[in-house]
Amino acid sequence: MIATEKVSKVYQIADGEFYALKDVSINIKDHEFVSILGTSGSGKSTLMHIIGLLDRPSSGKVLIDDKDVSLLSDSELSSLRGQAIGFVFQQFNLIQKLTVLENILLPTQYVKGKLGFDAKKYAMELLTRFGISEKANIYPNRLSGGQQQRVAIARALIMKPTLVLADEPTGNLDSKTGEEILKLLESLNEELGVTVCIVTHDKNVAHRTKRQIFVKDGQIVAKY
Amino acid sequence: MNYFVFQIKTALSNFGRNKVRTVLTSLGILIGVLSVVILIALGLGLRNFIQGEFDSLGSNLLFILPGDVIGDDGQFSGGGGGGVISTSFDERDVSSLRSRINAEFIVPLYTSNARAQAGDITKSADVFASTQEAFTLFNFEPESGDLFNESDVTKRSKVVVLGNAIAKDLFGEPSNAVGQTVRFSEQRFKVLGVLKEEGGGNFGGPNFDRGLFIPYTTSFVTINTDRKFFAIYVRGSFEQDVEELKSQIERALLRRYDEDQFSVVKQTEVLNAIQSIFSIINTVLLAIGSISLVVGGIGIMNIMYANVTERTKEIGIRRAVGATKKDILFQFLTESVLLSVVGGVLAVVLAALIVAVVQQFFPLALDATAVLVALGISSAIGIFFGVFPARRAANLTPIEAIRYE
Ligand SMILES: Nc1ncnc2c1ncn2[C@@H]1O[C@H](COP(=O)(O)OP(=O)(O)OP(=O)(O)O)[C@@H](O)[C@H]1O
Ligand SMILES: [Mg+2]
Repeated sequence: MIATEKVSKVYQIADGEFYALKDVSINIKDHEFVSILGTSGSGKSTLMHIIGLLDRPSSGKVLIDDKDVSLLSDSELSSLRGQAIGFVFQQFNLIQKLTVLENILLPTQYVKGKLGFDAKKYAMELLTRFGISEKANIYPNRLSGGQQQRVAIARALIMKPTLVLADEPTGNLDSKTGEEILKLLESLNEELGVTVCIVTHDKNVAHRTKRQIFVKDGQIVAKY
Repeated sequence: MNYFVFQIKTALSNFGRNKVRTVLTSLGILIGVLSVVILIALGLGLRNFIQGEFDSLGSNLLFILPGDVIGDDGQFSGGGGGGVISTSFDERDVSSLRSRINAEFIVPLYTSNARAQAGDITKSADVFASTQEAFTLFNFEPESGDLFNESDVTKRSKVVVLGNAIAKDLFGEPSNAVGQTVRFSEQRFKVLGVLKEEGGGNFGGPNFDRGLFIPYTTSFVTINTDRKFFAIYVRGSFEQDVEELKSQIERALLRRYDEDQFSVVKQTEVLNAIQSIFSIINTVLLAIGSISLVVGGIGIMNIMYANVTERTKEIGIRRAVGATKKDILFQFLTESVLLSVVGGVLAVVLAALIVAVVQQFFPLALDATAVLVALGISSAIGIFFGVFPARRAANLTPIEAIRYE
């Protein structure tokens, strides 16, 4: 479903070039539940952004259903980002000027045409399930890190995407809430067939998924 | 439709969260538009005012002035001999004109300054010595009492008709003045009446409201002992051809004077000369207005540019959740259009108010073209600098935009 072919990401730094990713080829199939595991600075987020169509590789190709995404138009890319993919940022990236509910509903505002469901109702359902329904009309800066993380997850799920990419989804959560989020992602995968890919540095979290991809210094390695 | 509502709601809630910035941006546009509109209104108002003054005198009016006043190019030349008027007219010229040409009015005019005294109040005033026809010529009407008549002129009556302002200065109420005595130039004059308020005197022209109007014959005793006139006004009837009248007058005067000792000037020639001065003034005002529009425009640029740059991260997040480049552009377009329109419309409303208030003291006229041009330019600046940086931000990848600092 989504694959990379020899993807590299090079940053220009003071003393030359820095390869955040080097010749990364991975393939995530439909309905898979995978994790990308690696130490801090290994390039996990960089890879995730490229898979999520949020960043361009310096070289190599990203394929969605065997189509090269560099050939897609801006509106095709945007609708993939908005509707097919749900992205949970490591830094959440909520808009501080919008309330929790407005943040969660943001992706629905950019849907051309009619939504097939009541987005507001669904957003409240997600908030209730995450135990933060009373925070719906509060601004994100009034939330704890873990609460902001759950808002970010709710925003990623609001469009009922077929691919969920979550960058450290349990990073800011206690083990109990973290467990709930993992269960939710598991059930999305098992019950709804959503493709789920999570980034983590935690082996225990990674072992909850059916397959692990190891990243080290910007490259895929067989195992740690 | 929903999409537009969403964009406008987004814009409005952004304004709500950034009240100071919103007010400052709108203010920049407001000041730019306001200054241009008001300055142009001022220039036009002055011109209309002058035009109106001349129109009220009638287009078939001619001035006979000493010296060579208006050059061949239609502009005022310095006057006879560099400001020193070498000739002036006398009663002989008036009666010679009366016998040779056929006009509605032939009115000589002498003016000088005087200190008018009533009781223990003394005020400076302008003496206008002429015939009773001067009142008709200038459309003067009495507010109280009467004007002097032909027999006052023949009998050299010591009577005076007061301008409105000088009457108020000397007697408090214009109606109190009638029948009283005013002293000036070592003579006592009986006040026959007081004129309605005239306005004028604003642009170095005669201030009739401070006038002491007396029969010219009376002025010969102590005021105008040389028995000279500075100007003779001639008005033809409506059917009369002004050009023909002008050449008749010239022929009559050439019997006594040389060509360069007098000028016969049509009212329209004076008007044209004055209008050409006013078009220079208008150009200067327009230039000042344009500068303030540019200054206002730079303010708009700064605020818009800072606004968009500061929101690059927000643009990145919106792009990450599905906003197209066009969505982003449209969002910023909506915001800048709203800001520009609000600022511009406020400016026009404010300009209309200022014009309405100031018009009571000073002529001002709103000009639709000026309003539209000023609105157009400031909105264009606001919109360009609202949309251009947003376009740059939208062209980054979502991650680049989110990381932008
Ligand atoms: N814009 C950039 N310019 C230069 N170097 C960058 C840039 N973005 C990322 N890097 C570098 O790329 C490497 C990989 O970064 P990345 O964010 O992908 O790490 P990560 O695996 O997600 O780490 P963590 O687990 O700490 O989140 C890091 O060494 C980082 O310093
Ligand atoms: Mg990371």
